[in-house]
Amino acid sequence: MSSGAYVLYEDQIDRINTALLRLLKKAEAKCAILADKDGHLITRQGFTQSLDTTALAALLAGSFASTREIARLVGEPEFSVLFHQGVRDHIHICLVGERCILAIVFDDRTTIGMVRLYAKETADRLRELTTPAADSRADLSEDFSESAGEKIDSMFKE
Amino acid sequence: MVSINYAFREISCKIVYYGPGLSGKTTNLQYVHDRVPAKSRGDLISLATEADRTLYFDFLPIHVGDIGGFSTKFQLYTVPGQVFYNATRKLVLRGVDGIVFVADSQLAKMDENIESLANMYENLRENDIDVQAMPLVLQYNKRDLPDIASIEELERTINPDGRPYVEASAVKGVGVFDTMKRITKLVLEDTKRKTSGQQPSTPTAIKSSGPSATIDDMLTSSGPVSELRQTAAARSEDGWNTDRHGAGAAAVAVAEPIAASKAGSGPISTSAENSQSSEATIAGAARSTTRSDSAASVVTAQRSTRIRRRQRSLFDRLFGWLFGR
Repeated sequence: MSSGAYVLYEDQIDRINTALLRLLKKAEAKCAILADKDGHLITRQGFTQSLDTTALAALLAGSFASTREIARLVGEPEFSVLFHQGVRDHIHICLVGERCILAIVFDDRTTIGMVRLYAKETADRLRELTTPAADSRADLSEDFSESAGEKIDSMFKE
Repeated sequence: MVSINYAFREISCKIVYYGPGLSGKTTNLQYVHDRVPAKSRGDLISLATEADRTLYFDFLPIHVGDIGGFSTKFQLYTVPGQVFYNATRKLVLRGVDGIVFVADSQLAKMDENIESLANMYENLRENDIDVQAMPLVLQYNKRDLPDIASIEELERTINPDGRPYVEASAVKGVGVFDTMKRITKLVLEDTKRKTSGQQPSTPTAIKSSGPSATIDDMLTSSGPVSELRQTAAARSEDGWNTDRHGAGAAAVAVAEPIAASKAGSGPISTSAENSQSSEATIAGAARSTTRSDSAASVVTAQRSTRIRRRQRSLFDRLFGWLFGR
């Protein structure tokens, strides 16, 4: 049964960001986006200003979920890598552990081989970093629910 | 699953609008998209067919603002309502934090509501999601149309657990924000409870009174669902409804295979005239005498009944289209 929340702490994100920056530098890619399989964006690095990363994370998760079903239909447990080739930009998507998806956007300044090589290396490094601690907890303030009620009422006012 | 990111001080929750085809799920999201200030929402993304029917999902991110020091976001999804898109519906439900079930209030759509709700619970279970602990709000949509079911009837047939409900007319915007308020509050309360390590209070109901039947009853084809099917069967007159009668009776027979074996073939044979495979499974269920045999037969017969219901739904639509029903 699903339970709790997926909690990511600041130092965890810092270490993930460091790994992503190293990947971008070595593979000479444009940007990297890490999302969870539910479609929530975890973090991003590189030139992401022009990208709607929230929507991208949701679509990546959807794409990966449907591909997983395709894999199942052909007798594979999962396709661990996806690659989409565009005219200028291309995207390489791979699994990170059981929970996350890493997407790398790159152009013709680099090659798919370079991206694949460093994506695999980074995914291995991130696997541990994205695994939630067994005792992970979020300390939401006592008045969280009350504060949420007020905010939601003001947001969805007819 | 709710994502809490301390680096960005962000909470992100996933809410799915579920319901039968054309019940108004996408319309809900369109209204929210149109009425929420642009700075508080992202683009509405629709993965739809050329005829504007949802193929995979619609997606709309909403940014509520700072709550308890966390920037709080809701990701709203819809599922494709059409029966044959079940694989994608199941995928969209993964990691869901709250559900709005959009029911079509029209009397003619009651069967579809029941089928969709049962399908939702089945998909939740297949995704290993705790059905009873899941925040859920029912939206009785299309209240502005004629020939609609009463709230009492809707409550009795699709809300036996007494979950919160909202009357709505999504196309006019009535009840859409009210639904949003209810589900978002439930989800955040649930998040608070989960993160503080408290056990969820199951179910997330606001009413204590109401019918005693539970969703489990619905899934095992007894309780209000089979009652409704029986009522539909009793009203049946034409050939298609005779088939429906057979399926309804089969559902009852599935719930009580041993009793069915004592009662004889009656309505089951009506069903059998229309489907040999159904005959085989239901007759198999009726012949079962041991507990384990009957349990296995129940599963087979349920599966067969489900397939028949889907076939019936397609035939009904085709028949309705041909004869303008």
